[in-house]
Amino acid sequence: MASREDLYEEAVRTHGSALDRLARAYEANPEARRDLLQEIHLGLWRSLESFDARCSLRTWIYRVAHNVASSHVDADRRSKARHLVSIEGVDLTDHRVDTAGTADRRMALERLMALIRELKPIDRQVMLLFLEGIEASGIAEVTGLSPANVATKIHRIKNILIRRFQAGGEHDQ
Amino acid sequence: MTNKSSSEDLKDLWQGQQTDPPRIPSEDFRRKVYKFERKIFWRNVREYIAGAVVIAWFGYYEWKFRGLLVRVGSGLIIAGALYVLFQLHRRASVRIAPADLGSNTCIDFHRKSLERQRDALRSIWSWYLLPFVPGLVVLLIGSMMNQWTKHPAGLGQFVIHSLISPGIMALVFFAIWKLNRKAAERLQAQIDEISAPREGAD
Repeated sequence: MASREDLYEEAVRTHGSALDRLARAYEANPEARRDLLQEIHLGLWRSLESFDARCSLRTWIYRVAHNVASSHVDADRRSKARHLVSIEGVDLTDHRVDTAGTADRRMALERLMALIRELKPIDRQVMLLFLEGIEASGIAEVTGLSPANVATKIHRIKNILIRRFQAGGEHDQ
Repeated sequence: MTNKSSSEDLKDLWQGQQTDPPRIPSEDFRRKVYKFERKIFWRNVREYIAGAVVIAWFGYYEWKFRGLLVRVGSGLIIAGALYVLFQLHRRASVRIAPADLGSNTCIDFHRKSLERQRDALRSIWSWYLLPFVPGLVVLLIGSMMNQWTKHPAGLGQFVIHSLISPGIMALVFFAIWKLNRKAAERLQAQIDEISAPREGAD
């Protein structure tokens, strides 16, 4: 069995960028985001001492990251009393953003971040794992949702994305 | 364009963000863990000091005043404060273990976290406020009797004056209980909400 240090090294090498993106999606404020990212790394480092390979390292990393980040949002949400919506409650009639040009892509990314931050924890987790390219069974393993439930949510997410964003300058209809 | 191409493009956009993952040496982690433990330690020390102040204050009453009820009341408040300190100590040791972060799915972790908050809100009345009530009631009755002996006045006026501070105290206790109960109900609604989809889908 690899040591905690080796596992942590591997985690950063394989998922360091994903953790960075996750922190950005959870926290808009740059300073708080840096703290959150450190908190995630600290949680990961501490937790890896108990890693027993009953799930994959990838599943473990994402669980730790989302659990730490959700606790962070939960504490923050109490103070700001923000209203979070479920994926089923997201407004589909919004204007679309083209993702063709550099400026457009930046704007699309900002809107995507804003959309993610509006979501309730479990839907936010599914959305982020989906964007990271994790397959439905992997999302189910991280979140604890059933595969059928994940499939339903992914369908809804795709629907939201196609209505809100427009890829490569092409038109959807 | 299909749904797939739109979402795939957004995945590319998402994963193509420039990132700067931090490289944190193990020594830094150990330092942070130590700092965190120290923070918890000092928080506990502050609570113990607050408890010690209450005990010292009513210990002074115990020594200073001769009335039986005042002394019994002060003794009961000291006992209540000791009980609350014991509960604080017991509850402070129940913390999230680092392994829970990775061994629990997101739903389980979130639900357990909400349940912990709910239980704390539901029980705060019984272990944080109630232990002081018997002592406060006896102390108030003792003070009222002392007052009556020293300055006998009209009974009606005396009763009204004597009931103002216990009345305010009772209102404050009631408001705390009510607010905590409301907050616990809100948390229970969230627990039901996150439990429902999984149960329905499995």
